[in-house]
Amino acid sequence: MDSDCIILKNECLKGLYRRIVFSAPDIAKQAQAGQFVHVKITAMRDRILRRPFSISDADPEAGTLTLVYKIVGHGTEELSRMRPGEHCLILGPLGRPYSAPRKGIRPVLVAGGYGSAATYLLAKRCPEKGVLLLGARSDADLILMEDYQKLGFEVRVATNDGTAGHRGFVTELLEDALPVDRKACFVYGCGPEPMLLALGKKALSLGVGAELSLDQHMCCGVGACFACVVKVKDAASPDGWRYSRSCKEGPVYNAEEVYYG
Amino acid sequence: MADLRVDLGRIQLKNPVMTASGTFGYGAEYEEFFPVSELGAVVVKGVAPWQSHGNPTPRVAEVTSGMLNAIGLQGPGIEKFLHDEHYMPFLRKSEATTIVNIWGKKIEDYCEVARRLDEDSEGIAALEINVSCPNVKEGGIAFGTDTKMMGKVVSAVRKATGLPLITKLSPNVTKIADFAKAAEDAGSDMVSLINTIPAMAIDIETFRPKIANVTGGFSGPAIKPIAVRMVYEAAHAVRIPVIGMGGITTGEDAVEFLLAGAKAVAVGTAIFADPMAPVKVIRGINDYLDRKGFKSVNDIIGLFGR
Repeated sequence: MDSDCIILKNECLKGLYRRIVFSAPDIAKQAQAGQFVHVKITAMRDRILRRPFSISDADPEAGTLTLVYKIVGHGTEELSRMRPGEHCLILGPLGRPYSAPRKGIRPVLVAGGYGSAATYLLAKRCPEKGVLLLGARSDADLILMEDYQKLGFEVRVATNDGTAGHRGFVTELLEDALPVDRKACFVYGCGPEPMLLALGKKALSLGVGAELSLDQHMCCGVGACFACVVKVKDAASPDGWRYSRSCKEGPVYNAEEVYYG
Repeated sequence: MADLRVDLGRIQLKNPVMTASGTFGYGAEYEEFFPVSELGAVVVKGVAPWQSHGNPTPRVAEVTSGMLNAIGLQGPGIEKFLHDEHYMPFLRKSEATTIVNIWGKKIEDYCEVARRLDEDSEGIAALEINVSCPNVKEGGIAFGTDTKMMGKVVSAVRKATGLPLITKLSPNVTKIADFAKAAEDAGSDMVSLINTIPAMAIDIETFRPKIANVTGGFSGPAIKPIAVRMVYEAAHAVRIPVIGMGGITTGEDAVEFLLAGAKAVAVGTAIFADPMAPVKVIRGINDYLDRKGFKSVNDIIGLFGR
């Protein structure tokens, strides 16, 4: 399950955003959209934990695994300094993927920040072309738009500061992107927790099916430590909810499973 | 190949390497990496009489050469633990040597769990009494930092079960030897140490604590020298076996604890970085013994200071 993977490419997308490509034949073969890998960044000496990354792309023929990340801390900073030829230990693919998109159902992808990295493989494997609703703080944080357009997806943008597209939250774009027949589309979300909770609630109120990729600070990645829990509905619990391990039972949850209280 | 078997009085282990409670789930999570029966023992995450949510998130934060956690003992409760296929039934089937960590808010809670496990004890090698969790408001460390209170918990559990008992000690005390002694006097068959060290970390950008519980338990390689010292002191204070843990990542780390007087060791935080860590520690101990020409792991236990 733990593979020693050589870095083939580690490039700047824009600003602090990077794309790294590994030679990882076993992972590439098994990877499903929405799953993640847990990476031991070997360059880090005094930081012991692995870092989880959504699988952005996987090519079973070429045996390559692609991750997109933002430099936000020690781990990603070290990772950004690693060069082709160096290697990382990679555990995965891990977690519950998005359900396979069905023929005749229009995919509506809703991504916040670099959440668009996680929905890319899904878009690539969708039998139907659809729309990506991409939200970010600012124009400088919009990534992968051209990649989605190349796949034939329409991209609609919202930014909090109005520097690109609609000024406001990406969830405000949802209703207009849905067909009249709600059953003819399905929503897939990935992004920060507040955005996903807003998205889940909105999807439920609009009567459209949705799956959300939720997570929390992660530690073991395999369901043992109970660090990365998220709240899900639980009729058997007196509180109506329980903590679910996002690394094992998630990260993808149906909007109906999620607890919004 | 050296003889790795160790005798902990009322239990015998095929090798001296256990998992630290809370770092190995309930065993089933790691079966896809290696057969968990290969371990000296699997010590499961704490079991209480009730199902519990645990603490709010974030529950973990990384620090230099270690981490803080405040999971807050999320768990299924005793009945689900005994009957749900992911917990005790899995461990029975896997034939792992299983040690069940128990906790409660009141002394009676500990006894209730101990009694239930005693009634249904198939596959259970021992109980570990958690009187040292730093992350729950009631119970846990409140019992483990006062020798009298700790003695009361251990004596009460002693009466509730005939199973071998391990008392897990907190490092958050002035004189660890007194606590090891108090556990021995109250009828504990073994002591294990150290639990995590109360600690905290602050995000200087947001002015917020890095974990929601504000304070958490510090673990990982950074705490190993503290743990080795405490294991050494405890081992010289009691006749019962001492199980050492705190920052063990390699076979060499484990050897240090054995030399200090531990009869067995537990691997914890290292598992988060490498699921195979406990197996590598077993191999590492063996390699060390072979390299140094020792025939049995027992030859090095307490070798320092003997």
